[in-house]
Amino acid sequence: MPLTYPIAEQTLDNGLRVVVSSDRAVPIVAVNLWYDVGSRHEPPGLTGFAHLFEHLMFQGSRNVQSGQHFGLLENAGASLNATTFFDRTNYFESLPSGGLDLALWLEADRMGYLLDAVNQENLDNQRDVVKEEKRQSYDNRPYGDSYERLVRLTFPADHPYSHMTIGSMADLDAAAVEDVHAFFRKYYGPNNAVLTIVGDVAAEDAFDAAKRYFGHLPAIPQPPEAPDGTIGPIEGVFRDDVVEDVPSDLVTMMFRLPVDGTPELDAAALALDVLAAGQSGRLNRRLVRDEQIAQSVSGGALPLIGGVSFGTLTGIASDGIDLEKVEDALVDEIEKLAADGITADELATVQAQAERDWLEQLATCAGRADEISHYALLFGDANRINTRIDQIRAVTAEQVQAVAAQWIRAEGRAQVTYRRPASTEEAAGEQE
Amino acid sequence: MSQALTTPPAVAPPRPWKFPESTTTATRVGTPVHVFDRPGQYVATVRVTIAMPLVAERRDLEGVATIMSRTLDEGTELHSANEFAAALERHGAAYGVDVSSDALHVEISVPVSQLAPAVKLLAEAVTRPAFNQADVGRHVTIRLGEINQERANAGYRAREAFAANLFDPSSRRSRPTAGTPDTIRPLTNVEVAEFYRNNIGPARAQILFAGDATGVDVAGIVDEAFGDWTSSAGPVLETPEPLYLLGDRIVLVDRPGSVQSQLLIGCPGPDRREDIWGAAAVANHVVGGTITSRVDTVLREEKGYTYGTRTSFSAPRKGGTFSLGGSVRTEVTGAAITDALRILREARDGLTEREVSESKDNLIRTAPLRYEQADSIAQQVGSNIAAGVPVDFADDYLAQIAATTAESATEAYRRYVGANGLLVIVVGEAKDVRGQLAELGEVKELS
Repeated sequence: MPLTYPIAEQTLDNGLRVVVSSDRAVPIVAVNLWYDVGSRHEPPGLTGFAHLFEHLMFQGSRNVQSGQHFGLLENAGASLNATTFFDRTNYFESLPSGGLDLALWLEADRMGYLLDAVNQENLDNQRDVVKEEKRQSYDNRPYGDSYERLVRLTFPADHPYSHMTIGSMADLDAAAVEDVHAFFRKYYGPNNAVLTIVGDVAAEDAFDAAKRYFGHLPAIPQPPEAPDGTIGPIEGVFRDDVVEDVPSDLVTMMFRLPVDGTPELDAAALALDVLAAGQSGRLNRRLVRDEQIAQSVSGGALPLIGGVSFGTLTGIASDGIDLEKVEDALVDEIEKLAADGITADELATVQAQAERDWLEQLATCAGRADEISHYALLFGDANRINTRIDQIRAVTAEQVQAVAAQWIRAEGRAQVTYRRPASTEEAAGEQE
Repeated sequence: MSQALTTPPAVAPPRPWKFPESTTTATRVGTPVHVFDRPGQYVATVRVTIAMPLVAERRDLEGVATIMSRTLDEGTELHSANEFAAALERHGAAYGVDVSSDALHVEISVPVSQLAPAVKLLAEAVTRPAFNQADVGRHVTIRLGEINQERANAGYRAREAFAANLFDPSSRRSRPTAGTPDTIRPLTNVEVAEFYRNNIGPARAQILFAGDATGVDVAGIVDEAFGDWTSSAGPVLETPEPLYLLGDRIVLVDRPGSVQSQLLIGCPGPDRREDIWGAAAVANHVVGGTITSRVDTVLREEKGYTYGTRTSFSAPRKGGTFSLGGSVRTEVTGAAITDALRILREARDGLTEREVSESKDNLIRTAPLRYEQADSIAQQVGSNIAAGVPVDFADDYLAQIAATTAESATEAYRRYVGANGLLVIVVGEAKDVRGQLAELGEVKELS
C-alpha cells in the first residue's frame, strides 16, 4: 500500500521546480535544494569542482558576508549542511518554521549571486580546507583509498563514475578563479535545480515564499548533459593488490549494476542484501559465524542515474586467516546466488529491512525533503517516495536471481585487496 | 516578479516547544515502562536501559560487560544465534547494544506493525541469553581484531590516550570501556554468564518506547514480553567519583605514516548534577561548538589548517570532561595547538553578550529538530536514565540555557577550562611533529 505523504508541485517561470510537502507535527521546516551537478558532470581537468562549490557556497554571496550564512541560520535554530555525490549536489537546512523566509533568501542569494563573493582569497582558503578533508577522510585512515581504487578498476578511464567526488588535488591546485566562475555559471541556476520544502507550512504559503525569493532569478542557458555512462556488466576480473601497514587484511569487490529507478536495480540491491545485510545475511552466517574466517563482512548497492550503478562486497579476514580464504568464500557465495537463487524467506527478510530503512529515511522532515528532491530531480516524479516500498515489495525471487546472474558475477568483478607486509605480521606474532 | 532583497528577512519567533511527554506504567515485576507516543513515527524504538556501572567488572577481566552485551543475541534458551537473527530481521527489525560507563542499552527499531513479535525477541535476548562458549569465544576473537582496527585509527588512539592521561589509573574510566587484549583473552562463557547473573535484572532496568502508538497497547505488549523476568542480581554498585590528573602537559602518540595530526585537548568538566550544565553548553557553543565558533573561525576559516574542529562538554553519571578535537596538517601541528590553546585560555577572560545570546538562540531553537525522530527520543531518555536525571531532563536543560547570561556562561567555563591546566594529546608522525611540540613544553612520547 502506498504511503500518503502529500506532494504539491509548481514550476516557476524561470524553470525552478518547487515541491512542497506539508506536515504540521513538529514546528519545523526543512529546505532542500538539489542541483543537477555532481562529479559525473566534471570534465577531465576539473575533477573535484562540484565538491569545491559545496565549500564556496558557504563563503558568502552578493548580500551575505563570509560566515554569515552559517551565523544567521544557526541563530534561527537551524541544522544545515551540504553534500556532493556522483550524480548531484544538495544544500539543505532544517529550522523552526518562522525561519523559512530566511532560509529561502539565503539559498536564493547564493544561487543567483554567489560569484560576487568568490575571489582568490576564499578560493585559496577553501582549497586548503578541502585538502584537509581529503587527508582526514581518505589518506589518514586504513583502506581510505579503497573506493578510489575500485571505481578506477570498475569503469573505463573516461567514464563519468571513474573518479571520486573529492577529485584530484592537482586539478584543484590548477584551478584559477575564472575556471571556478565558469563552472558555476554553467550549472548553478533555477532551471537546473529542485527546491523542496517539507514541514510546518501550508503548501500555498510555501509556494508564495519560493516565488518571493527565487522568482526574479534569471534562468541559465541549458547546462550540458553529463556524458552518457551506459555500460554493461564488467567483463573479466580486475585486481589491485595493495601491500600496506593495515590493521587486518581486507578484500573488497565492486560490480557494475543496472541504472537507478529500474526494477532490475532494486533486484540487484536485494541480491546484495541477501549476501551482506544484517546478521542473518549469507556472508555473515558463513564467514563470521560458522567458519569464523572473517571478522566482519559488509556490502550493498549504490544506486546511480548515469546509465549504470555499482555495488560492493567486503570482508575483513580474521587474524591468522589467509585472505584468499575470504576471497574464495565470497566468490563461492556469489556463484551460488547466481546459480541457485534465493529463498522466499530471504526475499521477505531483505524486503522487510528495506521497508524499515525507507520509513526511517522519511521519519524526519529533512530526510523526506532529501528524497523528494532526489525523485523530483532525477526522475521527475516526487510521488515516488510514496510508492517506493511497493516497488521493493514487487520484486520477485526470480528477478533477483536473473539480475544477479547477469551483473553480480565472480568472473565479472573489480577487486582490491589490502595485505600487511610479511615482516609486520611476524613482528606482531613475536609480541604474542 | 520578485526583487532581490539585500538584507535578510526577519525570523518569526518559534512556537513554544517542550520535550515530548510520556506515560509511565510498570511490568508485573515492577520494571518501569515509559511510552512516548509520537504520531507519524512509523518506525518505533524500544530501548531497555539497565544500570550497569563498569566498576562492577573485575580489573583483570575488563571488557566482560562488553562481551556479555554482544553475546545476548548470539543464541538464547529458545533460538540459536542464526535462528534469532533470522527471526528478528524477518520482522524488519534492527537490533543494537551499547555499553557506557554506567549502563547497558539494548534496543530494536521496528515498524510499529511488527512491534509485538519483535519485542518478544528483544525480551528473549535480554532475559534468556544462552552464552554458549562457541559464541562467546568468537566474540572474544572479534574484539581482539577490533582492537587492531582501533590501534590504526587516529581518532580512537587520541581518545584512548586522553582517557589514560586525564584520569588517575585507579579510575575505571582511564581504561577502554571494551577492555584490552590482556583482559579480553581470558574471558569464557563462565565469566560472561556470571557477570550477567550478578548485574542484569528487572529491578535495574527501565524500558522505553518511542513511536506512533495509535491503536497499539504498548504497555501490554511490553508486559507480556518482560513481565516474568526474574534475576538474582543484587543492588547496583554506586559509581565512585572519578579521580582526575591535572596540570598542563603534552602527550605525543607516534602513528607512523600519518598525513595529519589528530588533536585532543581538554580537562575535567561538569556533569548533570551541577546546575551550570546548561551554561557550560552555551559557553561551549561560543568557543568551539560550531563552524562559526571562536576556534574554527581561526583554525579552519582563517588559516585552513583543518577540515574542522569541535569542542564539547560531555559527562556520564559522575565527572565530566571538556575537549577540543580535530585533525590538522602535520606541518602546522605546533602552530595549530598554539592557536587553540590561546583561544581556549582567552575565552576565560569573558564571552560577549552577543556570542552568548546567539548561542542560546541556537541551542534552544534546535531542540525540536534534535528530538523529531522516535529513535532520538529513546536515545536521549536512555542516556538521562543512565546519568541519573529525570526522563524529561531536556526541559531542565533548556531552562538552564534560557537563564544563562554572559557572566554565568563565562563563570561556568572558567570553573573548568584551563582552571587546572590543559592536557594536549597529539597522534601523528612523531618524527615530523616532535620538533614543533618541543617549543610548547615538555612532551611525553608514546608509541
